Amino acid sequence: MTQKHGFEVAMTCEGCSGAVTRILNKLGDVTFDIDLANKMVWIESERDVEFLTETLKKCGKEVKYIGTK
Amino acid sequence: LCSVSLGVEGMTCGSCVQSIEQRIGLLPGVIHIKVSLELKNATVLFDQSHQSPESLSEAIEDMGFESSLSA
Ligand SMILES: [Cu+2]
Ligand SMILES: [Cu+2]
Repeated sequence: MTQKHGFEVAMTCEGCSGAVTRILNKLGDVTFDIDLANKMVWIESERDVEFLTETLKKCGKEVKYIGTK
Repeated sequence: LCSVSLGVEGMTCGSCVQSIEQRIGLLPGVIHIKVSLELKNATVLFDQSHQSPESLSEAIEDMGFESSLSA
């Protein structure tokens, strides 16, 4: 079963959420939700948290792992 | 040294500009970078032994923005 991982990403605008969207789409095998207002990204994936954190960091914003839901 | 202008799509504000300038500016061989929100481009001064227009464009794509070699 895949878990839903929550990450706090310091997104400030549509540009940031758009960048995160494109980065995650490139992975191809994740489903995700972006909540820009709360600076949260929810990812459903088999990949580990460390990999997902590094991937999110590519957008240049601070990333903090919150936990699973 | 070499200078190139790359197209950048997807930025919406000054903070987008800043994050690109910061991250790309730290890459080896990048001497200077100026990103313009209005012109949707990035002008980069770089050392050809470390970077190429292609590698720089790829680095911008990697950050989640769309980049093209013709600005
Ligand atoms: Cu932003
Ligand atoms: Cu922005």
